[in-house]
Amino acid sequence: MSADGPASPARASAPRPAELKLRGATFGNDDLLTMAIVNRTPDSFYDRGATYAFGAALERVHQVVEEGADIVDIGGVKAAPGEEVGVAEELRRTVEFVAAVRQAHPRLAISVDTWRHEVGRAVCESGADLLNDPWGGWDPRLVEAAAECGAAIVCTHAGGLAPRTRPHRTGYTDLTADVLDGVMKLANRALEAGVDPASIIIDPAHDFAKNTHHSLEITRNLDRLVATGLPVLVSLSNKDFVGEALNVPLEERLTGTLAATAVAAWQGARIFRVHEAAQTRQTLDMVSAIRGTKAPALALRGLA
Amino acid sequence: MLLAAALAPHPPLLFTELVGPPATLPEAVRSLLSGCTRAVEHLVACRPDTIVVVGAAEASRDYDPRGVLPVHRYGPAAPVGDGAAAKEGRAEDAGVLPLSLGMGSRLLDLAGWRGERRLVGLAADAPAAECAAAGREAVRAGRRVAVLAMGDGSARRGPKAPGYLDARAAEFDAGILTALSEADAEALLAVDPALARDLLAAGRPAWQALAGAAGGTGQGARAEILYADDPYGVHYTVALWTPLSESAPGPGA
Repeated sequence: MSADGPASPARASAPRPAELKLRGATFGNDDLLTMAIVNRTPDSFYDRGATYAFGAALERVHQVVEEGADIVDIGGVKAAPGEEVGVAEELRRTVEFVAAVRQAHPRLAISVDTWRHEVGRAVCESGADLLNDPWGGWDPRLVEAAAECGAAIVCTHAGGLAPRTRPHRTGYTDLTADVLDGVMKLANRALEAGVDPASIIIDPAHDFAKNTHHSLEITRNLDRLVATGLPVLVSLSNKDFVGEALNVPLEERLTGTLAATAVAAWQGARIFRVHEAAQTRQTLDMVSAIRGTKAPALALRGLA
Repeated sequence: MLLAAALAPHPPLLFTELVGPPATLPEAVRSLLSGCTRAVEHLVACRPDTIVVVGAAEASRDYDPRGVLPVHRYGPAAPVGDGAAAKEGRAEDAGVLPLSLGMGSRLLDLAGWRGERRLVGLAADAPAAECAAAGREAVRAGRRVAVLAMGDGSARRGPKAPGYLDARAAEFDAGILTALSEADAEALLAVDPALARDLLAAGRPAWQALAGAAGGTGQGARAEILYADDPYGVHYTVALWTPLSESAPGPGA
């Protein structure tokens, strides 16, 4: 048993799955995946309603697929506090849209960002492959919905926050141990509920109940999450920890985001939830080329 | 006997090493720190035998004055146990202090207080009577005592506030500020603990301990507000109460 934190069956005894399974789509362990954010919200922090309308959102899906996105992550509710979005409204924003995306892109992996089991079940019936739960199992029935539908699930360290609440002075005695403990508890729940071991993903959730120091620290220690053997998803894109590290406003955070992306990828993170799919794809391909898991696209220089 | 009492807030950003290099500190942080420093320097200048720090904590009990300041909980990059703790006269086996008392300790250190200090924690849900009694008990007859009460107002003052917006916050904080500026111990004792908790106002136990400490003078107190603002969505007040009793000499007497 490692000194990293409490023992957990999923870590101690389960072999590392040979591949990552998102229902129909499978990915090898060397594959670095981009998950492109498509928000059907009027008020998310970065896109601020740009893809709220059905047509605009579908256009964005076509675009990110062109840019090489492996997964699209469709969200109906903004993460930060604000106007209440109930179950009915969230269903309205997501279910039909998921069906349209599935029809337009039969082989694209579709993720839906939701904490609610009602939405989870409905979007899986419409074609979703992955339930990206940003609030760490707040609704205990979501993982059951994933298991019953054969969908994958993201186990997120939300620090115990209720959905759409912001932390107030969250402090940790040992941040990394707390994150590991949190995600592994959820991962074990998912296993017990019957989710395929190859379909369980963990996410430290940068900036969720974590200040900038915390988000930097968990990035620095990402190798300890990778060491669990479960695929690690990181959502770094344009977040405040990048903004505070570099003292840059929202629209100037791409460079810092890509730097953090390269570091996380080097340490073994496998799925990257992003706004800028094309630039992230290049960053990840560069890391793979350096690592040697992906040949350079073309090598002629010096070989003539 | 109570010589003077101060109230100061305890946001982690007052551990300014967490925010950034001194030259880059935002004006709001500088100005808040300056208000806190002035209040604590006033307490020190009264030349008390002991300064009692009181604030919300996990439990209602005394905490070891040698306890480690909880800075690393908010910024893990600052290494713990690298000798820095020992240099400050603290001991890791004395435990980690709760935020309110740790911040009070930091302010005392910044003001150069080398005399006796006592750290009194009050459980977040301790009833008003218990908090007031803790304040009274801290100010025992025969000793010259200064009290540093540590606590903030509501964290739900707007859409960008940590606790988002609760429409009741503004009026709640305004009421507290009025009570503090009039040295109105009774008004502080009447604050509803459930409302304070709903509004994420960490200072409720501290305000009521302050009221208990000052209420015993029987002759009221002069109040001064050194700071009152919410630059980041949480209400911070720095206040100074000086009892009007003739037997409590002012600073320099």
